Amino acid sequence: MSSTREPRILAIDAGGTMTDTFIIDQDGGFVVGKAQTTPDDESQGFLRSSEDALSYWGMSVEDAFSSLATGIYSGTAMINRILERKGRKVGVIVSLGMEDYFRLERGVQSYLGYSYSDRLHVCTHQHRPPLVPRHLVRGVSERIDVFGDAAIPIDEDGARRAVNTLLDEGVEAICVNFMFSYRNPAHELQMKEIAEDAVRERGVDVPVTIASDHYSIRGDFPRLNTLVADAIAAEPSRRHLRSIDERAKDHGAEFDLRIMASHGGTISIESRELARTLVSGPIGGVIGAKWLADRIGVENVFCTDIGGTSFDLAIITGGEYDVKPYPDMAGMLLAIPMVELDSVGEGTGSFVRVNPTSGRIEIGPDSAGYRIGTSWPEGGIDIPTINDCDLVLGLLNPDYFLGGDITLDKDRAIAAIEEQVAAPLGIDVYRAAAGVVELFEEGLKNNVLSRIMGKGYVPLNYTLLSYGGGGPLHVGGISKGMGFESVLVPAWAAGFSAFGCSCSEFEYRFDASLDMPILPDITTDEKEGVTEMIDGQCAFLREKVIEEFARSGFCEDEIRFRIFLRMQYMGQLRDLEVRTDYEWLESAAALDDVIAGFEELYAKVYALSARSPELGYLITVAVISGTVEVEKPELPTEPLQGTSPPGDAHKGKRDVYWRGEWVEADIWEMEELKAGNRLTGLSIVESPATTLVVPPGASTYLDENRIFHLEPGEEG
Amino acid sequence: MPEYERETIEKLIDGKLSWPEVKGIMSAYKDPDRFDKYIAILQDRVPWEDRILLPLGLHLYIVEKEDGERVVRCDCGHEFGDYRENWKLEALIYVRDTEEKLQEVYPPLMHSDPEWIVLREYYCPGCRTQLEVEALPPGYPVVFDFQPDLETFYREWLGREI
Repeated sequence: MSSTREPRILAIDAGGTMTDTFIIDQDGGFVVGKAQTTPDDESQGFLRSSEDALSYWGMSVEDAFSSLATGIYSGTAMINRILERKGRKVGVIVSLGMEDYFRLERGVQSYLGYSYSDRLHVCTHQHRPPLVPRHLVRGVSERIDVFGDAAIPIDEDGARRAVNTLLDEGVEAICVNFMFSYRNPAHELQMKEIAEDAVRERGVDVPVTIASDHYSIRGDFPRLNTLVADAIAAEPSRRHLRSIDERAKDHGAEFDLRIMASHGGTISIESRELARTLVSGPIGGVIGAKWLADRIGVENVFCTDIGGTSFDLAIITGGEYDVKPYPDMAGMLLAIPMVELDSVGEGTGSFVRVNPTSGRIEIGPDSAGYRIGTSWPEGGIDIPTINDCDLVLGLLNPDYFLGGDITLDKDRAIAAIEEQVAAPLGIDVYRAAAGVVELFEEGLKNNVLSRIMGKGYVPLNYTLLSYGGGGPLHVGGISKGMGFESVLVPAWAAGFSAFGCSCSEFEYRFDASLDMPILPDITTDEKEGVTEMIDGQCAFLREKVIEEFARSGFCEDEIRFRIFLRMQYMGQLRDLEVRTDYEWLESAAALDDVIAGFEELYAKVYALSARSPELGYLITVAVISGTVEVEKPELPTEPLQGTSPPGDAHKGKRDVYWRGEWVEADIWEMEELKAGNRLTGLSIVESPATTLVVPPGASTYLDENRIFHLEPGEEG
Repeated sequence: MPEYERETIEKLIDGKLSWPEVKGIMSAYKDPDRFDKYIAILQDRVPWEDRILLPLGLHLYIVEKEDGERVVRCDCGHEFGDYRENWKLEALIYVRDTEEKLQEVYPPLMHSDPEWIVLREYYCPGCRTQLEVEALPPGYPVVFDFQPDLETFYREWLGREI
């Protein structure tokens, strides 16, 4: 088999803890590699992780890389550069009177990303060092009003003075962001011309970027943040990505590395706007879930990803995920569309403590991350984690963590839990560990329920998909009693986020605020006028798509364009995204289609009876999505075999402390199980990268696509 | 439960910890021995021997003297009298009640209107250190900030008699 194996797709997810590599062959066969992330030079972790993955196929990196057609990266390098305020020295020009954006931070940025208790604890709120220091910000007198009219003309002398004083400060890039520039970019364009003249006169190389050219979106502060993030970090990050690309090419790769962007598609590492990749890691799983849902024919999926530091949740309804227009990342509001995803600060590395005031167990929000817990002495962790509890209970195998690369010290975990959790509560160490795990799973379950019920949906209509290194271990506890339509655990759960990246389109997506009203009594002629305006805006975005694809050598005819419109009922506050297959609208009939699409979506998201066409509509944002054909993975298929697993899949038995008593569990090797096999609880299925627990009373069935179906027993 | 080195608490007092370190301390559970460590540091820093019962603000302490009297005392040793009386009445007072005086400490247009709000600054008669500033309408009585119930605090919060 290995002589004909042809690796086709490589996906890397450089998370804060582990670098996962996912390699897929021409038949949908796959291997998952893991290595600890190397923040100083990510290309090392990348290579080690790839070597680990390929070792399962007995292949070397050189053998494998030359046949790869696609390589996709997602990671945290760029965001770290911004957090550490390392990058280019940027000067900023804004509307006169608005110079303190970065010091005021709209207030909200002084506590973004905090735990709930700290958000209430006001003295912990703190303004961070400004993204751009105040002495590098200039105001220029001008004003475009909310209707796009020039209320105050631009002060050209002032504009020249602003640029020159910034150049005197030695800035390496200049960003311009005027109020309401998304309505009318005239002043920004004028400013750019003046600035470029001044730069030319001095004979220096200082790029000038304007917000309306890159992020033509309402919300001047998120827009400014995004523009500046690009100016500060894009070029250093590009060098870093090129080093990974070169490392791959040194080992025989012929593909061009692409990078996961927040909107759910991948873009070239040569793209003009790398800020679009600031948030990428966790959304890979959602893209993978959508791909899987399409392949296996389910429409509604609830995605749960349990990693070392967080629990990420997303909903796919009717085959589509949601997109939010103003995500926040690293304490910054951004103006880039992002796949809607909620993140809770609880993962398997979360610290477990007893609150001395209330005497209650508390989990997280901080975590040991890649350092696992007290059971890995080299990590230097003294506070027990969920991993430690799982180990003490017998759910994790101390000699098979990361396939045995790391040996865990169970006695050390027992001692830490005894001292810090069990003793203060006055119970024995196993009851304490079991209580912690139960509490952890209850917490996650409440999060799942509130997300589904909060949107007016019920679990019965959803398939629960569980992935991430810790997902399969806790999915039994989380799904118990919830009544999901089905519970699925792909055998490649541990690398699912990386896998998901490999399922994504090569797609550029550009958004522009539009604010186009459609009155209830609109005539056909007026509709044609509206479509003309929308098409006009889209033509501008379309040019950007063409320009970006040209960097990767694709021409206009190879691109599939689609128009999406974000719209709402006139006077309401939340918009929804209507995705169409239109390349241009062109006719009133197309607009009717869009409106019908909105009505249908609104009824799904809210309620049929809440539809209010009598209010008219407002099209808030026009979106262009451009995709080109790229290779995507095949779903693995294996011939079904009998329900009883082969003898050599059974690794033995182990005592597990389960809900107050010791139970003997059957231990299985995941890789040895065959499609069609059925296991009953209590069973523990181990693989190098994850562990699936089948609770007592429940059973699981491995289907022909190597997906485990977890079926609750009578009581579930 | 967190526990910090004496050195960390000293840096906390002196404002020498980085923001992430301070945030970490604020967001964590309270270290149970903080009060005793904190008092021990302050006690080592003052030039007199009498026992500090409670810090009362920057430079000020409630101190138990050898004869059992509990008084408010400054770093420098100056005594303001019984802690149940307002120490401010024994301090030197400077009132900023004109634009000119306010603009010694504030830029123009950034300070209060002295007809409505004045600043009262309290200084130690012993070492001239500024101990407290109040912003109040002219003529408002001197505010008595804080009269602690020492016995209850020691018994119910620290779990011991004073």
